[in-house]
Amino acid sequence: MNEILGIAIAAVICWVNFVLIDTWMGLPEGPGVKGADVIGRSVQKRGGDLAGGFFQGNIVCSPDASAGTLLAAIGCYAIGIPEGGLIAAVLVYFGNRLCADPGYAGTTGALSITVIIFLTSFIGFKTEYFIVGMVIAILTIQGIYHPGASRLLGKIAHKMGRHTKLT
Amino acid sequence: MLIEILGIIVVLMALRTLVAQNRSERLLYLNVIGFSMSAIIGLYIQTPFGAIIAITFFVTSTLSSNAIAYSLGRVKEEIMVK
Repeated sequence: MNEILGIAIAAVICWVNFVLIDTWMGLPEGPGVKGADVIGRSVQKRGGDLAGGFFQGNIVCSPDASAGTLLAAIGCYAIGIPEGGLIAAVLVYFGNRLCADPGYAGTTGALSITVIIFLTSFIGFKTEYFIVGMVIAILTIQGIYHPGASRLLGKIAHKMGRHTKLT
Repeated sequence: MLIEILGIIVVLMALRTLVAQNRSERLLYLNVIGFSMSAIIGLYIQTPFGAIIAITFFVTSTLSSNAIAYSLGRVKEEIMVK
């Protein structure tokens, strides 16, 4: 498979995987840790959406499904397809507990991307495409234009019924 | 090819971190650098121990940004009290 095309498709798969799991686990509903509150309100001040800001803040402050997706991809690449993802899931769980985060988003993200990598390996996707794809996916959320990204995340949260009740 | 793409992302984010005005905005760019660096470590050291290093690096960098964001909130409160 063409490398650029593979990376682009892997980026889309990773983006959908971690945004859906994080929203489902309630990241936009409120700051899981205190630092996420500061980042969320700063994004809102610059013209963004508060729920999307909390989502971005939670990603920075604790290993969530985004971290689980990246680390499980690295584990599958360097260790092996099912066992690397499982080791990554355990380490992400430790990270979650160290950050005093009650959620299990990181572990769920790591396990789901392990299944996706296993299934897509049959149609010619290499595991390294998912590593680069995940970095590109996080770049679109955290690195290009924060107010715009937070408004998009807020819309997704609203559709899934997970929009924040805080003001 | 793969490491080059990640390197370009790191350089771009480093430049944006330099020109960013707001401290919490800077943390978001630094988070992307953390993602790219652990991906580069994983892709460059293609051994099981390399994966463990990449995972540990990422989790500890998240811990430190957690601490920085927490203290940013504290600093704001202290300024308001004064």
